Amino acid sequence: MALLQSAHWPFLIDVYFFLGGLAGGAFVIATAALLVNSVRYREVTRVGYYLTLLALLPCPVILIVDLGVPVRFMNMVLTFNPRSPMSMGSWALLGFSAAAFLAALFTLLEDLGKARDLSGPKRIVGIIGGFFGFFLAAYPGVLLGATARPMWINAHTLGALFLAVGASTGAAAIALVLVALGRRSRDGIARVGTATVLALVIQLVAVAGFVWSVQSSGSTQALNTLALIISGPYSMLFWGGAIMLGSVLPLLLGVIGLIRPSAGLTAVASVLVLVGGFLVKTVIMAAGQA
Amino acid sequence: MARTLAMFTDTSLCIGCRACQVACKQWNELGLEVPDWTGTYQNHTHFTDKTFRLVRFIEEPKPSGDLAWLLMSDVCKHCADAGCLNACPTGAIYRTQYGTVNINQDVCNGCRYCVSACPFGVVSFNETTGTAKKCTFCNDRIHNGLGPACAKACPTESIQFGFRDDLIPKAQKRVETLKAMGFKDAQLYGADSAGFLGGLNAFFLLLSKPTTYGLPDNPKLPQKNIFVDSLLSIGSALLVGLGALVAFRQRGPGGES
Repeated sequence: MALLQSAHWPFLIDVYFFLGGLAGGAFVIATAALLVNSVRYREVTRVGYYLTLLALLPCPVILIVDLGVPVRFMNMVLTFNPRSPMSMGSWALLGFSAAAFLAALFTLLEDLGKARDLSGPKRIVGIIGGFFGFFLAAYPGVLLGATARPMWINAHTLGALFLAVGASTGAAAIALVLVALGRRSRDGIARVGTATVLALVIQLVAVAGFVWSVQSSGSTQALNTLALIISGPYSMLFWGGAIMLGSVLPLLLGVIGLIRPSAGLTAVASVLVLVGGFLVKTVIMAAGQA
Repeated sequence: MARTLAMFTDTSLCIGCRACQVACKQWNELGLEVPDWTGTYQNHTHFTDKTFRLVRFIEEPKPSGDLAWLLMSDVCKHCADAGCLNACPTGAIYRTQYGTVNINQDVCNGCRYCVSACPFGVVSFNETTGTAKKCTFCNDRIHNGLGPACAKACPTESIQFGFRDDLIPKAQKRVETLKAMGFKDAQLYGADSAGFLGGLNAFFLLLSKPTTYGLPDNPKLPQKNIFVDSLLSIGSALLVGLGALVAFRQRGPGGES
């Protein structure tokens, strides 16, 4: 039995992983809509960029509050260490914040009528910010993989999983707001629903990859930790919450929605996706640190 | 860079007196803590933010049915390829000119990534200072021509301090002697620079297999995962991005808005 220690990152960090991923995912979805057709999907992009900024705002606060010496938060961006996912994540958060701010600002200028069409600058910010958004969604998973914690170190798809969760929750959040606004965006809602379905498929594959890679590692400690999730105290949250209610059910609802679009169905599926995405990350965090 | 300094802990000579643990506490002004009940003389179970040297008391069953003491004064390994140093996002953790690994207490902001990244569970978080703590290899002493307090205090020379390339042949000779005496499991842990983590600057002579002492057989550098994990993330990003573009491009129900 090796004597490892845990950082004991608190629940707030789970919230950050969720919000950061959601922000990155929503930005990417909004940008995809912008790139395909800036007029037709105007509402999707508009809601996506505002949502991104909203989800991102609490993130730096959460991270700073959680530091042992919060006043030294700037030390994170006085160093550039490619071997530390946390260092790279800090830079990604900084870069993404700039992009998210600009995208929301351009959208606001259009809304206020100060500019007629800023889709050109939005495309540039969207493409550059999209890379940062992907990075922000994925890096927490890579960060966990680069620790000595037995389950995390043996799971190689955590980055891929967190990215897919970011995309599915980001898309779901956009869909939910579009439904709530309930105007002129039925086509947009259907398309965002399709994007959610595709992200959910990748998410489920990445979850399977996570379980498989830990199981095939042969490490007793890793298997014991994994057992907390698949058969132990977190199994209800994992199988019932994250997988069945949070991924498989909304996937089925989404497929039904592909055939027969319905705003109500999309709203229900979106709530489930948000809950499921949060649970996936929380369970992996809680078991990994136990 | 100066010649690499090292500590060689020969567990076959340890008598469990804990002079090293006390000397470390005294010199580094580490203060009191509430003891753990471990079921043996060992205290504490783990390294803590106030225990940088920890004498492990391990009872190993002998074929006769009796228990044999295995005593080991454990410490930060000052890995040549250190998980904590790689993980540090602030540059607070650094390598000294002597090859030791140290945490700059004025820079550390208490993110605790190093605590999770240490393959040996050495780095600990101090709630009072809000920073990460571990053995400094008595950084103040070695920069003034002295050895670490633990090595100085050890009455049996179980802890030896010196240049790494001087200590290794001595350690190898000692393994041969012990094997000739019948300690068939005697082995060095972390002496091989080509071995795990690039070799440990605090290396050990063990009388049983590493796992008996709670040491991993073949510790892996956590950062080795970054490449593969990132590639898989990029794959996921490509699929998600492509999926989003396809979703908006498709012709299907919903029609024009």
